[in-house]
Amino acid sequence: MLLKLIVLSSASLTLWLAPLVGLDKKVGWHKSVQGLSLGAAIACAVSAGNIARKLADENEIDELKTRAIKADVVDEIGVSVYVSQQQRQQEAELILTSPGLDVEENRKALEAIYSNDLQDTASASEHPDYPIYLEIRKSREAGKSPTWIVENVLKMGGRKFSEGKAKLQDLLNQFEGEDND
Amino acid sequence: MKAMYLANYFVAGCIASSLLGWIASLHPMAFRAIAFLLAAVGIIWSIAWLLDYSLSQFLKISIQQLQALLISVLAVLIVGLGVYLCS
Repeated sequence: MLLKLIVLSSASLTLWLAPLVGLDKKVGWHKSVQGLSLGAAIACAVSAGNIARKLADENEIDELKTRAIKADVVDEIGVSVYVSQQQRQQEAELILTSPGLDVEENRKALEAIYSNDLQDTASASEHPDYPIYLEIRKSREAGKSPTWIVENVLKMGGRKFSEGKAKLQDLLNQFEGEDND
Repeated sequence: MKAMYLANYFVAGCIASSLLGWIASLHPMAFRAIAFLLAAVGIIWSIAWLLDYSLSQFLKISIQQLQALLISVLAVLIVGLGVYLCS
């Protein structure tokens, strides 16, 4: 296209100037050739002008496209930078505003709950009456009667028998209830 | 590329005015017709200079563009006729 433009431009200049300079106006056919040449030169110049105009428009559109793409890229980069900055700011704010004390308090609370559970679990086996309960349990498994257990295990025979029976019942309620839990 | 296209149209105008000179040299009546045409163009050109503000609004172009157009028309006529007459 550019080559065509250059050829047409140079042809128009040649067809315009060469006949006017080289040919004699007084000779009839020279004059005719000058007229034809001038007409052809106008046609070449107008064609070249149209081609150059088309190319100029295309270049302008390309420049606009390039500018639009650049602007779009710059805009995208700006938006992504802004978004990442916002995200980082939000994360920082979350970290700063998130109650570190609460976490610590929760940890302590959980720790306290856990240790209480352990103490409760330990309290059953470490109870002072627990060995007596174990003996009572063994005796019951061996088929001994409650009277025998009160008199021989709890050592509460005679006048203390009713008291011993009540103690036996209390011990059974206490430890067997915990075992069932 | 824009300069190239403007230069090509300028050359086309110059060749057209040379062609007018050539037509004027063909016959005395053609000479009169071309002289009348050039006189009309001259009058219109002068009026356009006088009415440049309103004409630029009518054509929806800037005053600078209109003045450049009028100057280039004058240059085209001078160059084209000058080349023909001097050759």
